Amino acid sequence: MQVNVGSIKSDFNGFDSISDIAEKTKTLYFDSIDLNFTNCSFFEANMVAPLYTVVANLRDNINDVSILSVPPAVYTILKKNKFLTVFNLPELIDINQTTLPFKIFKLNSGDQFNDYLETYMKGKGIPEMSEALNKHFLQNLFEIFLNASIHSKSKSGVFVCGQFFPQKHRLDFTIADAGVGIRENVRRYTGDAKLDSCESIKWALTEGHTTKTGNHPGGLGLKLIKDFIQKNNGKLQIISRYGYYEFLSNGETFQKMNNDFPGTCINIEINTEDKSSYCLESELKSEDVF
Amino acid sequence: MSSSIKGVIMNNKIKIKVSDLIGSQLCISVEDGQKVFDKVDQLVKDGNHVTISFENVTMLISVFLNVAIGQLYGSFSEEAIRTQLKVEGLSSDDMTLVKSVVDNAKKYYLNKKSYDEAWLEDDDNE
Repeated sequence: MQVNVGSIKSDFNGFDSISDIAEKTKTLYFDSIDLNFTNCSFFEANMVAPLYTVVANLRDNINDVSILSVPPAVYTILKKNKFLTVFNLPELIDINQTTLPFKIFKLNSGDQFNDYLETYMKGKGIPEMSEALNKHFLQNLFEIFLNASIHSKSKSGVFVCGQFFPQKHRLDFTIADAGVGIRENVRRYTGDAKLDSCESIKWALTEGHTTKTGNHPGGLGLKLIKDFIQKNNGKLQIISRYGYYEFLSNGETFQKMNNDFPGTCINIEINTEDKSSYCLESELKSEDVF
Repeated sequence: MSSSIKGVIMNNKIKIKVSDLIGSQLCISVEDGQKVFDKVDQLVKDGNHVTISFENVTMLISVFLNVAIGQLYGSFSEEAIRTQLKVEGLSSDDMTLVKSVVDNAKKYYLNKKSYDEAWLEDDDNE
């Protein structure tokens, strides 16, 4: 079977297009699927993380997945961020150091995630942060990463990728899993089987709300990142099953997608044009408040 | 005296250095949290006064704390934990994190039965 992959950006349509590919292929078992990129004129590199949720599910159903007809410019991007290596195609050295390469983390590999952040987050245009804020920021990224491992209940792992777009003054950092989605966890926790994906994301984002796993409670832990994104004029997106959530400095929106995204994805977009220095409010000195 | 002989040490003050126990300065995994929990759980059960030291820990997240400390509220009463357990070596921010994990755990174990009975059949409807 051949499935077309069109142009993909980090927006509602981009995630919906990926979900569409998932819908078209979800019943396939022990089959061959070619992802045909002929009509793909651009592909924002970080979006390979959510795309891989589709590939992971296909491979989980013992399907053979191949990549076809990728236009040269897109091919270069996917080679640079190492996505094509999962299809046994060669990689390209990223001379400009703008990629945070695609990586599949096995569950319980927090140490490797730490190494990944230390290696690739530097020099990507993130505004200056105080030591304490930087620690909190990393803590939040770990919470997202670990939640993806635990809550997804997926054996495929956690898929991470990022891209610094110097011309667009953006850094996108994306964490995805091919799991059951936020809806499933929140429905089980609240006992309300009628909650839809958007309502479930909203529930999970409410401070103090947590879902449990096994013997212990957990949560989304995004408050500090939201505070930062608001001040930085960046963007935060959460996509889980039919739910699409977008947080911008001027407000937030929930939208139901047309297709079922096969897992959960969190994308953090940092505005790299922002030259401010940030610290925690608790660190403020008297000279900072006036 | 060896701390590995269960049931022998009673009412002792024992300090557990987390970074030594898990062999890492990063408190970020469920497995490592479980390792700490198993150790503390047994020591408290044996009647010891336990101090969990986070000295040298550079990263601490709630997922770890949920397992290492939150779970203790499933084994012991709040009073027993308050009497027998202490934490040290935490920055004030990390102390706030521990507090929120503890508050969540108390809430969870208070309602554990109803939470666990709330498991539903998978419903794909949106």
